[in-house]
Amino acid sequence: MPKAKRLLNLKVIAHVVGTLLMINGFLMAMSIPFSIYYNDGATWSFITSALLTFSCGLGLRFSNKQSKDAEIKKRDGYLIVVLGWVSMVIFGSLPYIMSGEISNISNAFFETMSGFTTTGATILGDEGHKISNLPESLLFWRSTTQWIGGMGIIVLTIAILPLLGIGGMELFVAEAPGPTKDKIHPRIKETAKRLWVIYFGLTFLEMILLMLSGMTFFDAINHAFTTTSTGGFSTKDGSIADFNSPAIEYIIIFFMFLAGTNFTLIYFGLKGKLKHFWKNDEFKWYLMSIIGLTIVLTPFVLNNSEGGIGQAFRETLFQVVSMITTTGYSSADYMAWGGLVMFIFFLLLFSGASAGSTSGGMKIVRIVLLMKNGLMEFKRRLHPNAIIPIHLNKEPVSNKIIYNLLAFVFLYLFIFTIGSIVITAMGVPFVEAISAVATSVGNVGPGIGSIGPTGNFSALPDASKWVLSLLMLMGRLELFTVALIFTPYFWKRN
Amino acid sequence: MKIIITGAGAVGYHLAKMLSSESQDIYLIDENEDRLQYVASHIDVYTIVGDAKSIKILESADIGACDLLIAVTSSEETNLLISILAKKFGAKRTIARITDLDILKKGREEVYQDLGIDTLISPVLLATEEINRLVKRSVFTDDFEFEGGKLTVFGISIGENSPLKNKTVKDSSYLNPELNYKSIALHRNEETILTTPETIIKENDIVYFISTPESIDDVTNICGKECFPIKDIMILGGSEIGVLTAEHLEQDYNVTLVEKDKLRCEKIAGRLKKALVINVDARDVEALEEEGLADMDAFIAVTGDSETNIMSSLVAKNHGVRKTIARVENIDYIHLSQAIGIDTLINKKIIAASNIFKYVRKGNVSAIASLHGVDAEIIEFIVKPDSKVTHKKIKDLKFPKSANISGVIRDDKGFIPFGDFELQAGDKAVVFSLTESINQIEKFFL
Repeated sequence: MPKAKRLLNLKVIAHVVGTLLMINGFLMAMSIPFSIYYNDGATWSFITSALLTFSCGLGLRFSNKQSKDAEIKKRDGYLIVVLGWVSMVIFGSLPYIMSGEISNISNAFFETMSGFTTTGATILGDEGHKISNLPESLLFWRSTTQWIGGMGIIVLTIAILPLLGIGGMELFVAEAPGPTKDKIHPRIKETAKRLWVIYFGLTFLEMILLMLSGMTFFDAINHAFTTTSTGGFSTKDGSIADFNSPAIEYIIIFFMFLAGTNFTLIYFGLKGKLKHFWKNDEFKWYLMSIIGLTIVLTPFVLNNSEGGIGQAFRETLFQVVSMITTTGYSSADYMAWGGLVMFIFFLLLFSGASAGSTSGGMKIVRIVLLMKNGLMEFKRRLHPNAIIPIHLNKEPVSNKIIYNLLAFVFLYLFIFTIGSIVITAMGVPFVEAISAVATSVGNVGPGIGSIGPTGNFSALPDASKWVLSLLMLMGRLELFTVALIFTPYFWKRN
Repeated sequence: MKIIITGAGAVGYHLAKMLSSESQDIYLIDENEDRLQYVASHIDVYTIVGDAKSIKILESADIGACDLLIAVTSSEETNLLISILAKKFGAKRTIARITDLDILKKGREEVYQDLGIDTLISPVLLATEEINRLVKRSVFTDDFEFEGGKLTVFGISIGENSPLKNKTVKDSSYLNPELNYKSIALHRNEETILTTPETIIKENDIVYFISTPESIDDVTNICGKECFPIKDIMILGGSEIGVLTAEHLEQDYNVTLVEKDKLRCEKIAGRLKKALVINVDARDVEALEEEGLADMDAFIAVTGDSETNIMSSLVAKNHGVRKTIARVENIDYIHLSQAIGIDTLINKKIIAASNIFKYVRKGNVSAIASLHGVDAEIIEFIVKPDSKVTHKKIKDLKFPKSANISGVIRDDKGFIPFGDFELQAGDKAVVFSLTESINQIEKFFL
């Protein structure tokens, strides 16, 4: 019998994707108690969606039984991550559709994708489609999607299930955000466990603090979910502004900031090794940009709003942190703060916070390296024979990383350009189109204009919602993972 | 257990792979960044780029909390220094790979132990010892003696005329009325299967038996093989292994050693007392024929080049040499070489790795052996008074299917246990286990 030649191990892929769906179904079922408690009428749609998701996963997993040492090759890994995420989004949109709250499939898919990718762009908010009118269980599911997506379902799976022995690292690398993949423990499973424990701890702590500052349990858990994941979904139509509480705003600022910090650093911080923070160039830049931008922008905000300096400072700080960590909450309507502020916020849609955090965007470390490399290029002009390395955290950075970085930034801008052309061609006005694309690839949430903090995405043409969904997925999985599948190299052996 | 391995060469990599498959926490230090990148994408370990001689690097691997440091870089001096440093900084146990055999031969290990190096490992010496044993037991593909030969585990390939052929293990049990041996596992088509009474044995399977000393010849006979006396041996390659093997064997056998480098030949000839040293290229078959290749009883190919060893062993086999042993350093070649008819393979790295492996085991392991090309280990446990395995019949132990208790040594005598056997404190149990279940097995003996 001739040996079957296979590029992809479909059985392994189906097995892992099945497992992810089972977990997804289980997490979906967490909304059921809320539904029963609030008697919001969505109980049955949740029970059916959860069962359907779980049983599809079960079927996929057990019809493709794997031996324990089945190896996941690079190609399989990439496809698992992409298919896993897409199928999670498809099944994750079931509760919206079944309950009839979001009956348009394009809208439901967009909302779920925006959730899992921690973007936070929403199609809800119009008259008759207010966020606050949604059943509580759906609101909770909406926040849960962000919470799962923040640290990543594959990292979760690695942490709790023994399924990915060999090849687990491939998956981890394909899903975890940022160019540096530090392990904080020799074993991938233990690394994943620690990351989730930190994540869980941050979420829990924030929930408690929010409740202490006057939020209800339901609002607190939802906002804790969407802060630590830097997602930005809120249970209120006016986002954080609706709470009208400086304490809540400061708490959320603090946790957004932590969620945008490299989790490896937080881990070392918890172990008492605080000097790691000051040795880390990226963290310094992260902190300095927030402080710098807040100081520079506060006068402009003060000029364009009615409150005093304290309020202006708080609102500016909140918005800067919200944008740079790609959370996308708003505590005020920044559209009214004038052109310069708006343009700076537009630029922030690209930056993102630290590598290894739950934030999106390009990540500060890449921008720092890019700037250093650009600067050194001048020095190289004058000394053509000099070897001039670029330093990060006092270590020289290898050329391989620089090449990869340049390719990443180019790909980012390329996707942004093509995306903008496509969305504009669909009839979306220019400013909305480019900010929608930037906010989607960067996983931020709100854009500028009618999709700004007070608007929403529902008026966009359906086709553009699918394109934006794809962009969100690309952004969340750091471009290469998704883009790779569309290259011919992926489907050819050589 | 926290293990630091320095040197990501073949031994280091192989060890890390074995250990990570049983969920140990492994830090691997090497200077070669590309090599580490390869390792990190293939096995689940923490890699650190840098020179392990540097205290800074050792500290970044948290040396103070380290249970075992294994220094297996290519340089002896480096290994010794790393081990000494590691011990000073808190490593509980250190192992260093060395090349200078005089240290081991003359019992000077205490000097090194005082310095902080607990164990010295010489892959060359280990490989030589294994070759010697295999020459003495000419029909076996692998063999291991436990407690000085009270029990022996050995692999043997099933011949054409074997009465075991095409029968289940149960059906051929009449051949073994006194229960002095039993089959443990077999190796077929790159797969290792633990035998059950229902397993059917086929021709050319390599079957692993455990036996008391008096029945070894019986087993050989029923496998359709006969032990043949060995007189004339040709060794190919004047590497350290080749010369050491020749030194060992020249007392009892007629040894011819073939080496292509003339200067090296002269050196070797000075070292060896009786063996004949021939200066030809191993690939020159005609010259080997002239030196009596066809009349040899055993052919040992141990040049530094795996391909040459495999090819020349095949040539020897073709000339009617009954026992061929080839040193194959490329681990991926091992399955193939066995399939095409080379009797026995020697791999320095596997031997060294499995030897080091026993230090990773918890407390009461007294010996451990691994088989070439088989993902399994044979471990000798000392049974403790209250461990799980005592006070119960073996069949009631709920032992994993991927392992079995193959032999027991009690009061200095070897027994082959069957289902009704009950282990006692102080027994030494020989357990055959696939690598994946070793952790589970250990719990039974805690």
